[in-house]
Amino acid sequence: MKNGMKFLLAAAAIGALSLSGCASTIQYGDAGSAKPLSTEFGSSDLQQIAESMVDSMITFPPMVELTTGRRPVVSVDKVKNKTMQHIDTESVTDSIRARLIKSGKFRFIDRTTDAQTIDEIKTQQDSGLVDKNSAVKFGQQIGAEFLLTSNFSEIKQKVGGTTDVYYKFTMSLKNLKTGILEWSDEKEIRKVFKRGTFGG
Amino acid sequence: MKLAKTVVLNGIAVAVLMVSFGLTGCSTTAGVEASGKTGWDDQGARILEKKVVFNNSGLKGDIEIVDVKSAMAGDIMRAQATLRSRDKDTLPFQYRFDWYDANGFEINSGGGAWKPLILNGREAKTIQGVAPDPRAKEFLLKIREPD
Repeated sequence: MKNGMKFLLAAAAIGALSLSGCASTIQYGDAGSAKPLSTEFGSSDLQQIAESMVDSMITFPPMVELTTGRRPVVSVDKVKNKTMQHIDTESVTDSIRARLIKSGKFRFIDRTTDAQTIDEIKTQQDSGLVDKNSAVKFGQQIGAEFLLTSNFSEIKQKVGGTTDVYYKFTMSLKNLKTGILEWSDEKEIRKVFKRGTFGG
Repeated sequence: MKLAKTVVLNGIAVAVLMVSFGLTGCSTTAGVEASGKTGWDDQGARILEKKVVFNNSGLKGDIEIVDVKSAMAGDIMRAQATLRSRDKDTLPFQYRFDWYDANGFEINSGGGAWKPLILNGREAKTIQGVAPDPRAKEFLLKIREPD
């Protein structure tokens, strides 16, 4: 009887295990998932910042006016990363730039590929391979009218088992001719981690 | 006899643990959907056709979509929804706006990210979405419990 009971319990436990699926698995996740895994800067934070900045910029009334009938040329400055983390901030500005280009409101110049551009134009001009009529000449690129600058900061507080991290991403659009900031906005994100009673 | 009692107690504890794992392990991520479609009335004025769909009856008791509206910023469509919590506790949700063009094709299909939303007890809050480009004429707001 005793043994029979034990067997039943073991069977019930195994059944429950297989139902709740505790085996190791690997699968594709949702790239747009907003599930935070730690208080560190994550993919969802990047997406939230990019979306919020672009939404704010393309709906700001003076920007709507500015982009009616023309697509101003913008250059993106490196993000000033004042957080304690190593973050690929270029990835943040890349997302913002891609969204702004896709909105059809702005055009961008990319200074990070200048070396390759110069190489290519030199080859076209000097190698003798390219028809002179179609070869691209130096000094014909369009100068940026605006500069997109950004600051990224973090305030971290840790008390007992609780870690509270506050992120602030500030972005501005500067008119290069007049020096005036035509648009600016910030996105705040707060992440709180509470250590559970049983470790983890 | 004593041994048997311990085994039974342990068994019950394990079973309770397993059940609670099972309950929290795979919560449904279906939720509430609200959509808005741009149309024009006889006078040529812009109107918004609205629809709210509850795919998760559990969520229906937690959240209420009070209002859905839309406006244009230049040629870009914007949407706003007012949500009210029906619960007395603070509840976490996630939401996203999907955008469709005049032919009903999704813009940036699958590209949207879920955004966290925290509703305090009985609180009403508005959430806003901006279309990715001027093609957008229709939106679908999805709200779900955190995944």
